[in-house]
Amino acid sequence: MKSATTGTRGMFTSDRGMNNFNNRMFTFFVWGISACIILFICALLYLILQKGLPSLTWDFIMGLPSEMEEGGGIGPALFNSFYMLLISLLIAVPLGMMAGIYLAEFAPENKVISFVRICVEGLASVPSIIFGLFGIALFVEMFQVGLTIIGGAVSLAFLNLPVMTRVTEEAIRAVPQDMKQASFALGATHLQTIRRALIPTAVSGIVTGICLVAGRAFGESAVIILTAGVTTSGEMWDFNLLSPGETLAVHLWYVQSEAIVPDAVSISDKSAAVLVFIILMFNILFRIPLWIKERKSR
Amino acid sequence: MQLETSVQSLKMGTEESELGGSIKAGSGRMLDRKNRLLFYNRSFKIACIASASFVCLVLFSILFFMFRTGVLTFRDVPMATFFFSTDWSPENESYGAFVFIFGTFALTLLTLLISVPLSIIIAVFMAEVAPKWMRNLLRPVLDLLVGIPSVVYGFLGLTILIPLLRNITGTNMGDGILAAAIVLTIMVLPTISRISDDAISVVPRKYRDASYALGATRFQTIFKVTIPAARSGIMYGVILGMARAIGETMAVVMVIGNTPQLADALFKPTSVLTSNIVMQISNVPFDSTWNNALYMMGFLLLVISLLMIVLVRLLQQKGAHR
Amino acid sequence: MKLFKTLSVAAMAIALVATSITGSTASAASSLKGKIVVNGSSALLPLTLQAANEFKKLNPKVKISASAAGSITGPQSVRKGIADIGAVDWDASQDVPGFKKFDGQVAHKVAVIPFAAVVNKNVTADNLTTKQLQDIFSGKVKNWKDVGGEDADIIVVNRAFGSGTRVNFQMKALQGTDFISKGDNYKEVKSSGDMKTAVETTPNAIGYMDLVYVTSKMKAVKINNIAPTEANVINGTYKVWGYGYYMTKGEPDGAVKAFIEYIQSSKFQNGSLKKLKFIPISAIK
Repeated sequence: MKSATTGTRGMFTSDRGMNNFNNRMFTFFVWGISACIILFICALLYLILQKGLPSLTWDFIMGLPSEMEEGGGIGPALFNSFYMLLISLLIAVPLGMMAGIYLAEFAPENKVISFVRICVEGLASVPSIIFGLFGIALFVEMFQVGLTIIGGAVSLAFLNLPVMTRVTEEAIRAVPQDMKQASFALGATHLQTIRRALIPTAVSGIVTGICLVAGRAFGESAVIILTAGVTTSGEMWDFNLLSPGETLAVHLWYVQSEAIVPDAVSISDKSAAVLVFIILMFNILFRIPLWIKERKSR
Repeated sequence: MQLETSVQSLKMGTEESELGGSIKAGSGRMLDRKNRLLFYNRSFKIACIASASFVCLVLFSILFFMFRTGVLTFRDVPMATFFFSTDWSPENESYGAFVFIFGTFALTLLTLLISVPLSIIIAVFMAEVAPKWMRNLLRPVLDLLVGIPSVVYGFLGLTILIPLLRNITGTNMGDGILAAAIVLTIMVLPTISRISDDAISVVPRKYRDASYALGATRFQTIFKVTIPAARSGIMYGVILGMARAIGETMAVVMVIGNTPQLADALFKPTSVLTSNIVMQISNVPFDSTWNNALYMMGFLLLVISLLMIVLVRLLQQKGAHR
Repeated sequence: MKLFKTLSVAAMAIALVATSITGSTASAASSLKGKIVVNGSSALLPLTLQAANEFKKLNPKVKISASAAGSITGPQSVRKGIADIGAVDWDASQDVPGFKKFDGQVAHKVAVIPFAAVVNKNVTADNLTTKQLQDIFSGKVKNWKDVGGEDADIIVVNRAFGSGTRVNFQMKALQGTDFISKGDNYKEVKSSGDMKTAVETTPNAIGYMDLVYVTSKMKAVKINNIAPTEANVINGTYKVWGYGYYMTKGEPDGAVKAFIEYIQSSKFQNGSLKKLKFIPISAIK
């Protein structure tokens, strides 16, 4: 670049024509690459949804899986997915939020707390298979309960805990100081301030976090294969926490790997479509209230 | 405490006094309310501290469990053999994990080589170039990509990507670190680009204005002002993406070939730490050296990802001091 | 932790109520009670689940929880007392290549599982001798032209160590010779499904799997001029098959015994078991 040698004239004043060319090239380039990637993503989503969605029936979604005949459903696996997601969220969201609130609001700035932060981030980066191994060590070897829903759900909760913590902390930190001070000035206690001012303001970030966590938990397979097994109890609406807890993502894996039903390919296509569709719904459903809220506050 | 007891005695006193009931009740409730609020505040804070400690506890118990089982490996296998030998054939009692350690690093590096430039371009596009409606559409779509189960990615890799690679390059198999890196790129792309996008978006408006005022084009502004200013945020995204690439299991295992040999070519079937663990963990006897060695590999993975976090922290501190 | 305890108690209470409602509607055909936990081989899982469904209809008070991780987890779980039945693809009361025997466990044959060597559709060779198979899987023969095919590299696809299919194939088809463990044209897969996809989509590939999984998109080769068919297994000419076993700690009793007896009954063996494309144990002389 010529500009580097002509120091006094500043770093940007080089050959104007060249710059314009570069700029156009750059814009073109960025648009091009982005368009390619976006097209690719859309093609990917289309590929998954188009293979499965058109042939979806209610019987498939609610039906019991079959081991030898065509037409088995995914009912119990789908139910387990939601059930385990719910349990893991029940554990991870309150704990994660409180830990996040602590880090954002109460924690003093010292070595111990920065160590705690490293722990949270460290836990967030732990590979999911490690949570699976940990789940085996904890539930299969220590408590000897075998492969169960509760084992899977707790392992999932551990997986989600740090993400929840971090997201809450960030969201609460992003709330303007004025808001907090105004609340204190009105005589509110710290808890009241957190409940009535901080959390409602930070809810958008927190909900995005829950959304992220729920999506991840819903699609997770390695942890669940190791801790909750690859089978269901074969009954619909089985709330027993000690039943084996195959989820839809695991069922997808199982059907591709071991099942000998003749329509395994179509089951896995449909399961994949259902999975992606549900995650899509999570994203939309969680966001709609936020959009409405945003509109209102405007 | 002293205050509370005095309040109590005061209340006791008023019980028998001649004062009107309304005052008595009123003051009582006031004080109750204060105590109650104090109590709620305290217990809430304690609950918060407990939750934060719980998160740390989980990490340490994971570290402890993995280490406790993993370290038993070294009863039967010398440490140097485990870390530096390339011979992994547990059925003949050789436990050299170097192939997997090397594979993990090679795969991660290759993934980053492909995904970082692409992600940054996408991030720049979303934050600086794209019109607002497109941005609002793109962000949820990228978030959605994070949620697609890795099994699905793996299956698409196995059925679409590998035959494609085989046809393009004319190799025999197509399995190997290149295939795995491409699949991983798709998986970490949303993570890196979303975080970089956020980092670029929060670069203060005035930086850009100043740059434009000096006569810079958009290209120059982005590359010389915006991206350097967002550097630490982008680094954070890259390292998170890296952590995901290192830890990904189900997608990698389907396309990497799972052969314990050194990944010295793009299309050579090889194996990484995660894929080897998941391939073998359910097929080894409990309490065997083999099982312990797999846990040791898990512990290694854990240490690698923790080191990376410490790296992020250092980077962030450097960013803050700047 | 306390939260999770209360939660689990609450959920269990709900589950109890739910099961008592559904339980009362089913006819009390049998007085058999208990809980059976099955763990182990994933290849036997479809069989176990199907049998469990039918058995539960006959004995509504028996709860069966079946799961699978890998063959070796079956007898291991039994030894640890986590499972009552360990499903395994080989007789775990004996030593097999790679695995020691489990003392004090009783093996019950439940099915005959035929295995087939399969190749991609583009492979022209359709008959392999035991010697040729041994050479291919041990890496001595690297090109299809040496075993009667076209001039192309052989891609060997193998199951991961510890797979029951691998143990059986090694014992019955390769007569105990070792597999290669590395090479440019060698890969390992995690499951029967992955094996299927790999052989279907990789030209010049050879692998092996339970006969059940063989599809029209691949080719099952003859071994020593004998086609891998059910009939050939039954008449004793095709040798590459193994029994599926249920391992129990000592002789079983109660519900576990009844369940194993149900699986071994001719009604199940000639009904669902056949439909699942396993071969009844009584068919083998």
